[in-house]
Amino acid sequence: MEQYSQHFLYPSTLFASKEPYVVKTILGSCVAICLWDPVAKIGGINHYMLPNWNGNDLASPKYGNIAIDKLLEKMGQLGARRENLKAKIFGGGELIESGANGTLIGERNIRVARLILEEKKIPVIASSTGGKKGRKILFFTDSGEVRHKFLDKKAQ
Amino acid sequence: MTNITDRQLLKEIRAKMNERKKYEQEVQMLTRELQDVTKKLRESESLKSHFISNISNEIVNPFTSILGLSKSILSVEKNDWKKVVSMVALIHSEAFNLDFQLRNIFVAAKIEAGEVVPNISKVNVRGIIQSIIDAFNLVARKMGIEIEFEWQIEYGFGKNFYFKTDSEKIKLILSNLLNNALKYSYKDSKVIIKVWADEEKLSFSVQDFGTGISDKNQKIIFERFKRLDTGINSINRGHGLGLSITKALLDVLGGEIDIKSQKGEGSTFIIHVPEAKNVVEGFSGEGNDIFFDDGDEIF
Repeated sequence: MEQYSQHFLYPSTLFASKEPYVVKTILGSCVAICLWDPVAKIGGINHYMLPNWNGNDLASPKYGNIAIDKLLEKMGQLGARRENLKAKIFGGGELIESGANGTLIGERNIRVARLILEEKKIPVIASSTGGKKGRKILFFTDSGEVRHKFLDKKAQ
Repeated sequence: MTNITDRQLLKEIRAKMNERKKYEQEVQMLTRELQDVTKKLRESESLKSHFISNISNEIVNPFTSILGLSKSILSVEKNDWKKVVSMVALIHSEAFNLDFQLRNIFVAAKIEAGEVVPNISKVNVRGIIQSIIDAFNLVARKMGIEIEFEWQIEYGFGKNFYFKTDSEKIKLILSNLLNNALKYSYKDSKVIIKVWADEEKLSFSVQDFGTGISDKNQKIIFERFKRLDTGINSINRGHGLGLSITKALLDVLGGEIDIKSQKGEGSTFIIHVPEAKNVVEGFSGEGNDIFFDDGDEIF
């Protein structure tokens, strides 16, 4: 096995690399989108908490629409080509029982991912979303492989 | 022969229509959302250009003062130390301000780039708070404002109270609150910093006796680049990032902020920060601790 460097991905941050990295993150209602360019072997991943930027806070990758744009931008800088990119989507569980009105953060986070990726014509080739459990994922930036496990405990 | 009764047919058509309506509603909702986002983006663009003109004042003014003052020091008559000292004090406060503002801008840029992560260690809380107060004291004295420090933590070894958190982020949060408190205070008043803690969280408050913030404005002040133009001590200074940064940093620490304020009576900002866990579960960030579980599914 190739030597991988490691990175732990915190919420509201993103990561992309040309070097082979294995990125770990823990997801609850947050969503992580793994993008990678199989030709250039460049991979990147974000971890956002809310679907759309409210226009008031700092425009950080805490918000889905910003997190996706910034990840694409960063990967473009590293040399990934938009037309080669493939995507995998994880997370978006509903861990907190929401009331009758239901905030459904997880669901909305997933929807933003699918909408924006479709708009950008990036194919989603695998996903594990929704449900009531948290997830742990490991993402290999060179091969695009994702190892995924449900968590029983509460996650972020 | 189809044996669908009129009734059944009607029912089916109705169901189809309902379904369609639902789709239409969804499309409408999405369109509205999209329009909303576009509007916000446009607003943000105009705020950004406003911000750049603000920020250039922020940087150019202190530099002009520093340049001018240091030049005049060179031509001060020999032995007129009093004059030199007062000019150096001015240079210091301008440079301090410049440094503080630049730091804020870089942190904001880092937050927006998604590069800000918690950096946890055992922190001597009293030490870092005292260091921030010391740093601001010179500037405060020049404004005639006294900074009072009320330490309300009894246990531990009395003086030193250690708490697992991110010291740089706490420092920046406190600096921003203190900077605001000074900016909106009247001359010859005071600012009170209180620190207390319970089992799992650290709290501190920064209270001023300045202009206060109306209910309506209490919502606005957290928005990036927005400032209230009622600062007493430095009219039209500031970039409107301070509280946005504070909020984003609190996000990273899992903390909260509260405001108590009444127009004309001053404001109190209260921060609560939970104690950080040792390390991220299953990851120390250095060793070979990214392991594969048997239960891993591969995607």
